[in-house]
Amino acid sequence: MFFIISFVLFFSIFQSSLSNEINLYTTRHYEADYEIYRKFQNITGIKVNVVSGKSKPLEKRIIEEGKNCKGDLFFLADAGRLYSAEKKNLFQKIKSSLLNEKIPTHLRNDYWYGITKRARIIFYNPEYINPERIKNLNYEDLGNKEWNDSIAIRQSNNVYNQSLVASLIYNLGEKKTSEWLENFVNNFYKTPMGNDRAQILAVAAGEAKLAIANTYYYALMLSGKKGKSQQEAAKKVKPLFPNKNNRGTHINISGIGVLKHSPNKINAIKFLEFLVSEEAQIHLSKNSFEYPIVENIKIPEILKLISKEFKEDKDTPVEIYGKFQTRSFNLMLEKKWN
Amino acid sequence: MFKINYYSKDNLLIFFLVLAISAMAITPLFSIIISLLKIFFLNSSLDGKFLFEYIRNSFDILFFVIILTSIFGIIPSFLISFFRFWGVNFFKYALILSLAIPPYIFGYSLSSFFENYGTAYSLLKFFSPNIGNNLTLNLSAKTMTIISLSFSLFGYIYLLSMTTFNNQLGNYIEMSKTLGISKFRMIKSIILPLSRPAIFIGISLVAMETLSDFGTASFFGISTLTTGIYNSWFIFDDIQTSNLLSIVLLGFILFLFYVENKFQKKKKFHDSSYKSKKIKPKELKGFYNFLAFFVCFLIFFISFIFPLLQMIYWSIIHSNYFYNFDLLALNLNTLFLILTTSSILLTFAFLCNFGNRLLKNNFLNIISNLSISGYAIPGILISIAVITIFSTISDLLNIELKSVFIGSFIGLVFGYFFRFYSIAFNGIKSNYLKINYQIDESGYLLGLSKVKMFLKVHFPILKRNTFFIFILISLEIIKELPITLILRPFNFETFSTKAFEYASQDLIEAAALPSLFLVLWTTILILFSSKYFLKK
Repeated sequence: MFFIISFVLFFSIFQSSLSNEINLYTTRHYEADYEIYRKFQNITGIKVNVVSGKSKPLEKRIIEEGKNCKGDLFFLADAGRLYSAEKKNLFQKIKSSLLNEKIPTHLRNDYWYGITKRARIIFYNPEYINPERIKNLNYEDLGNKEWNDSIAIRQSNNVYNQSLVASLIYNLGEKKTSEWLENFVNNFYKTPMGNDRAQILAVAAGEAKLAIANTYYYALMLSGKKGKSQQEAAKKVKPLFPNKNNRGTHINISGIGVLKHSPNKINAIKFLEFLVSEEAQIHLSKNSFEYPIVENIKIPEILKLISKEFKEDKDTPVEIYGKFQTRSFNLMLEKKWN
Repeated sequence: MFKINYYSKDNLLIFFLVLAISAMAITPLFSIIISLLKIFFLNSSLDGKFLFEYIRNSFDILFFVIILTSIFGIIPSFLISFFRFWGVNFFKYALILSLAIPPYIFGYSLSSFFENYGTAYSLLKFFSPNIGNNLTLNLSAKTMTIISLSFSLFGYIYLLSMTTFNNQLGNYIEMSKTLGISKFRMIKSIILPLSRPAIFIGISLVAMETLSDFGTASFFGISTLTTGIYNSWFIFDDIQTSNLLSIVLLGFILFLFYVENKFQKKKKFHDSSYKSKKIKPKELKGFYNFLAFFVCFLIFFISFIFPLLQMIYWSIIHSNYFYNFDLLALNLNTLFLILTTSSILLTFAFLCNFGNRLLKNNFLNIISNLSISGYAIPGILISIAVITIFSTISDLLNIELKSVFIGSFIGLVFGYFFRFYSIAFNGIKSNYLKINYQIDESGYLLGLSKVKMFLKVHFPILKRNTFFIFILISLEIIKELPITLILRPFNFETFSTKAFEYASQDLIEAAALPSLFLVLWTTILILFSSKYFLKK
């Protein structure tokens, strides 16, 4: 008994005593990320220790640990969550001309930096819908009567949906968004369930006419990494980038910030700079099928092929997803989006 | 009678040790109750109608899960206890294996089997290449949640009704047969009333697990009280609402807990010390033989073989993920957690039970009985409580304890201690009750010291069942998700966190391998101890 306790004590103290390392909290669980951490260690000799989890428990842990927090960095998928962490004073400002130079202004602020990018787009099955009919489709049109019983989208508790609605609140105002939501929810082909991929599959199967999902899910299916049946289904479906004649398609980011009490700040910044290097950006995009945050980086063939008509919404600052998150979720629930 | 001298040094020491351990185990309950008080002073973003929806969903699910688990649990245990049919001895043990599969893993399998272009489609396609995708079942998320929970939890009811049927009913049935009572009346007036306490205990265990389930409901996106706690926290950033929901949930669960304890006491009344006669099972023939076999086979197949096959299928098809896992580390972590946690839990439980037996102090007794409340608190709440407790203590005492307790093995083991202490405590308690007090008295009169009494007299008697309690704790730890997810240190993964991570990134096929290993562990543990399961 005593032996075990001392063993545990020893083990946990030993865990935190190495100095040439950084401690990372992350809500991203991609295997590609772990490979990046290993690459970084190979190049710099700095080991990346990881705890992954859901954003709020990690937030709670960081807040309660306070000054004793061992974490250096917090990596979050979705701009809304970055905003939430920033508002809770979790991050510190850092100076890096390299980061400022490489990452576009609308995808970073003083506290956090976008690392990868994804678009939330529409998918259709050309067997049932003539591409000509929808080539100029906007998110706003999805509330129209012609799409009655047609739309597949996941539930309102999904943060990507909340961010999409937040971007509409920013661009159209709350009143118009609310009216739009009313009609949009009426157009659902059935009560939402399942993940993004399930929505795309519903369109492939001809159950729904239009699906809303993130780009990388589709690319992942097309690549064959999800198995032959999924690849076959994905091939039946085509992507459509909405709002290309006006503000552009809704995008979201994964981003990272240096924690306020970071004990290894210099190494943490080194890691951030590594994440926007060409090598890391290519690797992330190649494996997770997200878009690189840095411009003019080579993207995988599949992503290139589906993104021919991608026009990014650069006017809507991503941090408003966080600002409007509660309002958007309340509106969605009010309009009975389950 | 042997009198206790409270003022002797070692008695005082034991008193305070027992008090300290038991009081420690209650802290999460207190921490949550204190947070309730805060709610009255702060505004909550929660709309009454959401609360209503959360409660309704939770109860819809609960209602159907209770019905289904009762059917899946009672019917096969009835068949196996009272009849002989093909495979009966196999099913007797095989049906326990359903407890090896956590509900969330059953959910992963179920949804991917039946989804558009899912495994069912691939299978059908293999046999007839021209098949379309319109053959797949379209089950609602709620239905799938209910099915997943029912098939992975019915084992509790199965086990408990098995033990009553086999250990307690023999004499009564023999007697009613001699009296020439009809079969229908025998079921109605003997079997059902006598097995009711045990079955109710099973049902309340199922209900507690269902209400505190997080993995399954969150995977299927159902707003229950438990996922509501998460949602109000995640999306509205509203810890107060999440506390309020916790209290509502806790209220329901504590009520069940009370019911369970009440029936435990009732059950003891039926536990006669003399050995009950074994029931003579009736041989089934022809169609009925097949029917009984088929019912058991179906439940066994769906609850255990189906998710297992789905995971094996994925692990083979997507064998490229194999290289992503540090299997050695994952296995060692699991072993390490099991050994550390259960040895601490068992030591504490031995100490508290021994202390209670020795001192017979009412106050201590009440505190000890409260100390098992942790099992009723969902894992999410336990982990929040662990963080809050240690950071509060650290701030109050102005000592740096946070880095020792938050995000460390110690903190993690504390989380498990709060949640699973009741298994150890109750397990040892029920065995202690079987040791006659006279043994103690004569031992002390013969001049045995307390330590010797425990080591030479009690422990040898308790030893056999301790192994079984160890297995029960291990099973829970291996399957446990939220506490491990939230409290673990850097670079620390278990099979359940790995599987959950992949599943939440929509890479269920990659979650197959860790899930498979998890099930391998739980299956082996259950097989090792299957005899104990049916004896208890």
